[in-house]
Amino acid sequence: MSDTTGIQAHPSQRDGGGAAAAVPPPSARDRSRKPAASQLAAWAFLAPVTIYLLLFYAYPLYRSLDLSLRNYTVRSFVHGHAPFSGLKNYRIDIRDPTFTPALLHTLIFTLVSIAFQFVIGLGLAMFFVQHFKLSATLRALFLVPWLLPLIVSASTWSWMLNSDSGVVNSALHRFGFAPVNWLTAPKWALVSVIIANIWIGIPFNLVLMYSGLQAISPDIYEAAALDGANGWQRFWRVTFPLLRPVTAVTLLLGLVYTLKVFDIIWIMTRGGPAGASTTFATWSYQLSFGNLLPAFGPGAAVANMLIVMTLIFGFVYFRIQRKQLES
Amino acid sequence: MNLLNSCGASAGAKIKRTGYDTTALLSQTLLSAQQGNSPDVLIVDNPVVSTLADAGVLASNDQDSIDASAVAPNLLAAGVLNGKTYGIPIGANTLALYYNKTILSAAGVDPSTIKSWADLTAALAKVKAAGKGGITLSAIGTEEGSFQFLPWFWGSGANLTNLASTQGVAALQLWTSWMKAGYVPNAAIQDTQTTSWAEFATGKYAFAENGTWQLANAEKAGFAYGIIPIPSMAGGVAPAPTGGEFVTIPLQKDTSRYPTTEKIVSCLTSADNAFNTDTTLGYIGVTAAVQQKQATNPQLPVWISAVAAAKGRTSDNLGTNYPKISQQLWTAVQNALTGAKSPTAAMSTAQSAAAAATGGK
Amino acid sequence: MSQRKTWLKTGIGLVLTGLMLFPVYWMVNVSFTRDRDIRKSPPNWFPVPGTLEGYRAVLHQQEPYIATSVVVGFGTVALTLLLAAPAGYSLARLRPRGGGALSFVLLIAQMIPGIIMAMGFYAIFLNLRVLNTLPGLIVADSTLAVPFGVLIFTAFMSGIPESLLQAARIDGAGYLRSFWSIVLPVSRNSIVTVSLFAFLWAWSDFIFANTLDGGGRHLPITLGIYHYIGNNNQQWSAIMATAVVASIPATVLIVVAQRYVAAGVTAGAVKD
Repeated sequence: MSDTTGIQAHPSQRDGGGAAAAVPPPSARDRSRKPAASQLAAWAFLAPVTIYLLLFYAYPLYRSLDLSLRNYTVRSFVHGHAPFSGLKNYRIDIRDPTFTPALLHTLIFTLVSIAFQFVIGLGLAMFFVQHFKLSATLRALFLVPWLLPLIVSASTWSWMLNSDSGVVNSALHRFGFAPVNWLTAPKWALVSVIIANIWIGIPFNLVLMYSGLQAISPDIYEAAALDGANGWQRFWRVTFPLLRPVTAVTLLLGLVYTLKVFDIIWIMTRGGPAGASTTFATWSYQLSFGNLLPAFGPGAAVANMLIVMTLIFGFVYFRIQRKQLES
Repeated sequence: MNLLNSCGASAGAKIKRTGYDTTALLSQTLLSAQQGNSPDVLIVDNPVVSTLADAGVLASNDQDSIDASAVAPNLLAAGVLNGKTYGIPIGANTLALYYNKTILSAAGVDPSTIKSWADLTAALAKVKAAGKGGITLSAIGTEEGSFQFLPWFWGSGANLTNLASTQGVAALQLWTSWMKAGYVPNAAIQDTQTTSWAEFATGKYAFAENGTWQLANAEKAGFAYGIIPIPSMAGGVAPAPTGGEFVTIPLQKDTSRYPTTEKIVSCLTSADNAFNTDTTLGYIGVTAAVQQKQATNPQLPVWISAVAAAKGRTSDNLGTNYPKISQQLWTAVQNALTGAKSPTAAMSTAQSAAAAATGGK
Repeated sequence: MSQRKTWLKTGIGLVLTGLMLFPVYWMVNVSFTRDRDIRKSPPNWFPVPGTLEGYRAVLHQQEPYIATSVVVGFGTVALTLLLAAPAGYSLARLRPRGGGALSFVLLIAQMIPGIIMAMGFYAIFLNLRVLNTLPGLIVADSTLAVPFGVLIFTAFMSGIPESLLQAARIDGAGYLRSFWSIVLPVSRNSIVTVSLFAFLWAWSDFIFANTLDGGGRHLPITLGIYHYIGNNNQQWSAIMATAVVASIPATVLIVVAQRYVAAGVTAGAVKD
C-alpha cells in the first residue's frame, strides 16, 4: 500500500474503530504486514466486488467520459463516428449562462442541507438517547420519512407547497402571513427543495448519530459530572470529541448523497422556475434527457464536473480529517 | 391496446408493447438504435419525428410502403424532413379555450364576442371582478410550456426564427400582465397541462387553455362548458400548434421484418381502426374520411376546424432546429412570468441563445 | 420529580414526532380525500367526508407492483451482502495490498450520479438481454448499496477484537472459516444494518426502474406511482393511497429491526 493512497483509505477504517469507541480494536493500526498467502486470501475475498466495480462502475464512467470528449449529435450517437472534440463540451458548459448559478445552487443546496440535517439529527439523537417513556417508539417513527420512496416524498412536498391549494400557504394565511410562491418564485424554489431534502435526510443522521451516542459509555459522563462539568461543557468536551469519528462518516456520506440529489429537485421544480433551483445534477439530466433534442456531450461533461466536484469535497474532507487526527 | 394485438394477429405477428413517456421514449429510442435493437413499430409525439429522422433511426416512406397521401398537409408537416416524409400521423389534436358557462354568464361575458386579445383580457377582468379565477394554462419549463405559448406567439404574428420581435414580446407581455393582474394562477409556472386542467375542473376558473384530449374530462367536470378558438392579437383565430402521434417504422438491419411491419402499420392507420383509436385517445382524424365520420359527434366540428387551422411546430422549415428554439422559448416564458426578467429582456436573451444554438445552420 | 421530567420529555418527543410526520399525515389525509375536494381552499385538515376510492384503485391495480418491489428488494439485499461482506472482512482484517486504493475507489463509486450509471447499464443490459427483467434491475439497484455496505462492514469488522480471531487461528481455522464462523455471526448487527439500507434503497429506486425496467412485465411500486402521476387525469387520492400502501412493508420491517439498526453501527457485538 503506497503512502498516498493509504492516507485516503484509512479514514473509513479508523472511523470504524473509533465509532466503536467503547470497544476500540486493541492494536488495529500497528498490526504488521501479513505474508503473501494472506495477500492471496485477502484478494480472493475482494475479487467479487472488484469485478463488480469494473463492470458496473468503470464502464458507465468510461462511457460518460467518452461522451463528454466527443462532439455527439443525435445522428452520431446512433451511428457512431462522433469526432473527438477535446474539452469543447466543457468549454460550452462553462460559457453557458446556467453554469455559475448551477454551481452556486449545487454548493448551497449541499452545504445548507447537510448542515441542517446534521445539527437537527444530532439534536434529536441527544434527545432520544435519554430514554424516556415511548422514546424507542417515537424514534422508530422518526424513520418513516426515510422509508418513503423519493418520488412519494417529493410529490407530497410539492403538493403541500402548492401556491394556490397547498396546506403550507393555507396555514400561513391562518396566522396572518401572505402566501408564498414556494415552487414558482425564483427566490423560494431553492429554499423549498432544500427544506424537503433536509426533511428526508434527518432520519439518516439521527440513526447514525444515535448509534454513536449509544457507544459512549455512561462511566465517562459520570466522571465528567464528578469533575463538575455542566451539560454544555459535557457536550463540547466529552460528547462531541468522542462523536468525531461517527460524525465524519455521517458528514461524508451526507455529502456524497446530497451532491448528486436529483429526484427531489426534478419532481418538485424540474430545476426551475427559470433555472432558480438548477443544480449540476438536474442540469446534466436536463441537457441529456430533458429537452427534445438531447445534448449528450455537454450533459456528460456537466456530470463529470459534478464527479470532480465531489472529489474535491472528498479531498478537502480527508485533509481536515488528517489534521484532526494528527492534533 | 387491443387494436395493436388484432393488427398484429392479422399480420401474423405477436406484438410486444412497451410504453414510455415522451422524453424518456426519445432517449430510449436513441439508445436502442445505438445498440442496433430498434423496435419494429414506433409511435411517437410528432415534434420528435424530425429529430429521430435526422438521427437516421427511421425509415422514410419511400423506403417502406406507408401511404400518407390522404393526410392533411399541415398535419403531415411534422414528419417531413429534407423533402422526405417519415411515418404517418395516427391522430391530431390542438389547443383551444374551454370556458365555464356558469361563471361567464354570472360575470356578464358573452364568449362569442371574444375575438381578440383585448376582448379576452376585458373578459378576464370582468370575471376577476366577479370574484372568480381567470384562466388556467401551463407555462411549465418543458415542451408543454412552449406548446401552450405558441398560439399566442403565432397569434401576434411573430415567427419562431425571431423570438425577440415586437410581436413576440407582445405575446409574452400579454401572459406576464395576466399573471401580474392575478388572472392566471401562480402555479401555472409549474403546472403541466394535466394539472392546469385539474384547476379548471374545480369550477373556480372561467377559462382553460387546453387540448382536444380533455373533451371526455370536460363532460365529467360537473358544470356546463363551451369551447372557443384561441383569439389572435388583432382579432380572428390564432394558429395553434398541432399535437398528436406518428406511427413510424425504425430502420432495421434485417429487412425481412419490413413486410410484416408494414401490414401492421397499414392496419393501425386504416380508416376504421384510426377512427376507433382517435375516438379512444381523444384525437381528431388526420384524413378527410375519418374526420367526416367524427363530424357526426356534435362536439367535434369545432375541434376539426381548429385542427385544420393548426400549424406544425417543426414547420416553417425549422425541422431539428425547432427543439433548440423551443427550449429558449419556454425559458423566456418562465423568466418573464416569475419576474426574473422583463418580457423584452427575456425574449432578447432567448433569441441570442437560440441563434447561437442553431448557429446559422 | 424525575417521573414528571420523563413525561415532559415524552410530551416534547410527541410534539417533535408530530411535526416530523406531518407530511406523512398529509399524504394519508390526501389519500382519503375525494378528488373534487383536493383543490379546496382552505384544504380539509381531516378527510371528512372521505373516500376509499383511492385504496380501491390500489387494490385493483397495484398489487403486482408491490410484489415486484418486495422481490427486487430482497434480491438486492442478497446480492449486496454477497459482495460487500467478504470485501469488508478483507479490508478490515486482512490488510490487502492496494486495499486502501480500493476503498477509495468505492467511496468515489458512490459519487457517480445515478443517471450516468443508468445510461451505461442500458447499453450493457441491452446486450446481455437483461433489460426489462428483474435480475437486471436487482443488479442495478445493488450498486446503490454495495459501496455503502463495504464501508459499514469494514468499519464493523475492524472493531472485532483481535483476541477473538487469534483464538480461532490457534484452533486452526483458515480465513474462510474465521470469516464464516467467527466474523459473520459476530457482525450480524451490521448485516441487518446493511440489509435494511439495501432494501430501502432498492424499494425506493426510481431512476433505474424507469430507465432499465420501464417496459418490463413486472414493474416496481415507484413506477406504479409514477404512472399514476403521469396519467391524463391525476387522481391524487389514488397516488397517495399507493404511496401509503408502499410505505407499509418497509415500515413494518424497520420497526421490527429497529434495535439492530441502533446497535448496528456501534459494533457492539462483543457484548453479546
